[in-house]
Amino acid sequence: MQPDPHSAPAGDHRAAGIPASEPTIPTQEGTEDMTPDQISTEGTVSSQGGVAETPDGLLTVGKTMPDGEAMLAVRNLKKVYHTDGGDIEAVRNLTFDLPQGQLACLVGPSGSGKTTLLKCISGLLAPTAGEVTLHGKKVTGPPKSMAVVFQEYGRSLFPWMRVRDNVELPLKNQGVDKAKRDELVDNALEAVGLAHVPKSYPWQLSGGMQQRVAIARAVAYQPEVLLMDEPFAAVDAQTRADLEDLVRSVWKQLGVSVLFVTHDIDESVYLGERVIILSSSPTVIQQDVLIDLPEERDQLETRSSQRFSELRHHVYEQIQLAKKGFRPEDALAK
Amino acid sequence: MKTLKSLLYIVGLPVILLVLWYLATAFGEKNFFVPTPALLAETFVETWTWDRMTTDVFPSLVRLFWGILGSIVIGMVGGLLIGSVRWLRALLEPTMEFFRAIPPTVLIPVLMLLIGIGDDMKVAVIIAGAVWPILLNTIEGVRAMDEVLSDTTHTYGIKGFNRVRYLILPSAMPQIMAGIRQSLSIALILMVISEMFAASSGLGFTIVQFQRSFAIPEMWSGIVLLGIIGVLLSFVFQLVERVVLRWYHGLREIENAA
Repeated sequence: MQPDPHSAPAGDHRAAGIPASEPTIPTQEGTEDMTPDQISTEGTVSSQGGVAETPDGLLTVGKTMPDGEAMLAVRNLKKVYHTDGGDIEAVRNLTFDLPQGQLACLVGPSGSGKTTLLKCISGLLAPTAGEVTLHGKKVTGPPKSMAVVFQEYGRSLFPWMRVRDNVELPLKNQGVDKAKRDELVDNALEAVGLAHVPKSYPWQLSGGMQQRVAIARAVAYQPEVLLMDEPFAAVDAQTRADLEDLVRSVWKQLGVSVLFVTHDIDESVYLGERVIILSSSPTVIQQDVLIDLPEERDQLETRSSQRFSELRHHVYEQIQLAKKGFRPEDALAK
Repeated sequence: MKTLKSLLYIVGLPVILLVLWYLATAFGEKNFFVPTPALLAETFVETWTWDRMTTDVFPSLVRLFWGILGSIVIGMVGGLLIGSVRWLRALLEPTMEFFRAIPPTVLIPVLMLLIGIGDDMKVAVIIAGAVWPILLNTIEGVRAMDEVLSDTTHTYGIKGFNRVRYLILPSAMPQIMAGIRQSLSIALILMVISEMFAASSGLGFTIVQFQRSFAIPEMWSGIVLLGIIGVLLSFVFQLVERVVLRWYHGLREIENAA
């Protein structure tokens, strides 16, 4: 099957059980002139992004922007771990852009190298090949304007510091003066609803509250990009719903770009403006989906809306495909 | 009521031991080498006068203090360095095992020749033995650093001295304190032994003098004093530990309850 980006609508491919390579998507050159009317026809899920040619053949890529316009750009990222038992290719080839102020979710089956990817983007791990640029500058170590919220809240907060000191530490380290620091910390604790426990130790709080502290710390740091690595995977479902809304509100208030990694399909659709679906390991982008839900999201209303279930359905199918070992590049190369 | 109960627990065993000792010495066969509790108490008061305190006990305690302080400083600084720098660890670890295996007491004659027979030598002997638990525990503590916590400080750009101060030191502190605890008793033992060689004052010196002149109750009173110093030392340690590791004990309690 020769991939023709302008061929039949997405629904047909899926109904036939054929992995939709890139339905209704413009080619990469056409990406920038995508308009809303092109995207959402009823019942179909529109993808953004395109196909790129690599030495290994064709590859689906996420949505990219013209050079220099994207805030965060990931280009041909590859990560191979060298172990005693041989090389493990965790991430094969990833390309996508994150524009300023966008909330994008990365979702993939478990073991799809999500954490590896995030560590490469945050500069904690050096990629084997390819690069990550922030404002056009190559990321070689953790950039100053980036904050990361980890899944293991219990291990990312300093147990020997009180809540307030935890939030304050990055600012103190940067040499922000006391008055400014107090203001930022107060506002951040207020924003996550923890203004009443500044003197507690993190381990005295519930899991959800601890993760709020970690979010407050990231907020007070005033990053331009906020990376979140399955932040709510370890909290209970009710707390998770609250925290999801918290992320949305913090994102709107601060105008930061958020890259949210999750394995929870509902969560990714509910939170994101865009969901990037990853294949199983070695990871490539399987599809880059535009989430055209209304701006205001509500746990009850949004989740029970028809569009939500369509999108959820689509992402779910794609993840199932990924779990079965479907490789987008194979489908394209045929 | 609760404090009374815990007090009873603390003094319970010592009282039982005292009674047993009294019964054995008062009604059993008289033994020249084992005084009765009453005689020992009397001798204790007579022997450890203020004069003797200033000439023998305080100098010993000063040496002990410098020995412990030196061990803590060298052990922690060295441990932080060796624990954080991989090539340094690879370079030093086998050699450290060698030096660690040497009993510090056999070094005394050598140290006497090298740095004389003064207080320096005695402090050096204490450090030579007491530094190891602190050094090795600090290395382990630094190496056992939580990866997520380490990543967190990286992403927030906390490095250099701030990283040591806010991350490495506090996170290694539980293990460092465990090392210090072991070192305290080693330091006390080495203090006594170092004073048995070429000394003219000190607790160890005095006790050996008593032994040689067959002043048996006096000798025992010195040994009791050593025991008391040991108890006080551990008491002070526990107070310090409770403050320094408050967070750690709280965390552990919650983890155990969960």
